[in-house]
Amino acid sequence: MAGFGKKSKRPMNHADAEIDLVPMIDCVFLMLLFFMLCGRITMDQRTEQITVPPTKTAAKFKDPEGWSREIINVFGSTQHGDPPRNTIRIGTHDFKSQGVNDYSGYQGLRAILDSVYDKAEKYDDPKPSGMRLPKVIIEIRADADTEYRVVQEIQQVLTDTLDLTNMQPKKGLDPKTARCFVNLDFTTRRPEDK
Amino acid sequence: MAEAADDRIAEGKLDLVPMIDCIMLLLLFFILTTKFTSEEKTISSLLPTDKGQAATKQKTVEPPQQVSICIYPAGLQKGGQPSQYFAQLHEMQPAAINVIPKAWIRIGSADPIELDGSMLHTKNSEQMQTSVNMVHQYIKENLAKFEVGNAADRKAQAPITIQCFSGMSWMFALVAYDACRGYEGGITGRKSTGKPTDFDDAREVDFAPPRIRDYSAKELGEELFEIVNAK
Repeated sequence: MAGFGKKSKRPMNHADAEIDLVPMIDCVFLMLLFFMLCGRITMDQRTEQITVPPTKTAAKFKDPEGWSREIINVFGSTQHGDPPRNTIRIGTHDFKSQGVNDYSGYQGLRAILDSVYDKAEKYDDPKPSGMRLPKVIIEIRADADTEYRVVQEIQQVLTDTLDLTNMQPKKGLDPKTARCFVNLDFTTRRPEDK
Repeated sequence: MAEAADDRIAEGKLDLVPMIDCIMLLLLFFILTTKFTSEEKTISSLLPTDKGQAATKQKTVEPPQQVSICIYPAGLQKGGQPSQYFAQLHEMQPAAINVIPKAWIRIGSADPIELDGSMLHTKNSEQMQTSVNMVHQYIKENLAKFEVGNAADRKAQAPITIQCFSGMSWMFALVAYDACRGYEGGITGRKSTGKPTDFDDAREVDFAPPRIRDYSAKELGEELFEIVNAK
């Protein structure tokens, strides 16, 4: 046996050299198992990094039969300005909320909602409003730091009582043509969730 | 190649290369497609259709009593002028972030409680749970004072309106809404199922519609004046 600091006199035979793959396979299997058990594959529109507020009564619901869900993401300061705070995103469309100074964001949002309404199944409003309401749940997934007014204004746009050219209530609105969305979910998490 | 592989198998050695290829591909797939954020849940709400222009006009004999939950920047006292409120607001908003750090939540004439926004950001922390519990406790104690008639008839109770200053962070309003739903759930013993019919017999809990359209200093000061001094 060759001691420390002494070169082995036995010549290296490269033909016989084999790498022991067992430790590597052990590690790779462990990593594979970890990712399979701990990770969740993202299949929905909740891919944006948004820190939603905590609430105690929150739950995970299954949508009723025949209903669909549309997610409106609203950014806060989690993204450090990219996209800017208060940006509204549906799918790949971004809208900027700037109140009365620039209502174009809300017009874009309304245009998408109109298209969702037209495709959805409808039911009669149980209240005597005469409206046909869509079987769609709108989920507002707003960052904890989003300005309250943005969520508030989205709710106004959903109930469609606004004339977006002057941001005033519509005059003489016909309930039959009002594309209202009244079923709303707010994305949140339980305080004890990691 | 095939002969070489057969020879190795005959020698009792397995060819691990295809297996390693597959495992590496699987590993890469899971690494790229998984995320470790907490599972999100939702809290349901139903927007009213009997308010606003689209609603059928109905004559009301007397305005229904309403319970207001007012949420505004911490430190603003009743009795000030709109310009003073705006000046105070300007001082407490760091220009770079523009987030109001602390809120006061008040019901009726009760003393407000202070809620620190940074506590609601810390995931799974004791401070967060304490903060949320504090709001639930405050709202439970104070809403109980407004109970009228048969407690089982939730529709007969005064509607709750959350009046939050437009520049506050969304989390303050949502935590207050959650506390109202928690209070109602505690009385009826019913849990939300996520279906629209959940709200058929439920008490009305709404967010107040936007008061202003123009976010100027004057308008913001007047909005604060109304919310801080609301009964």
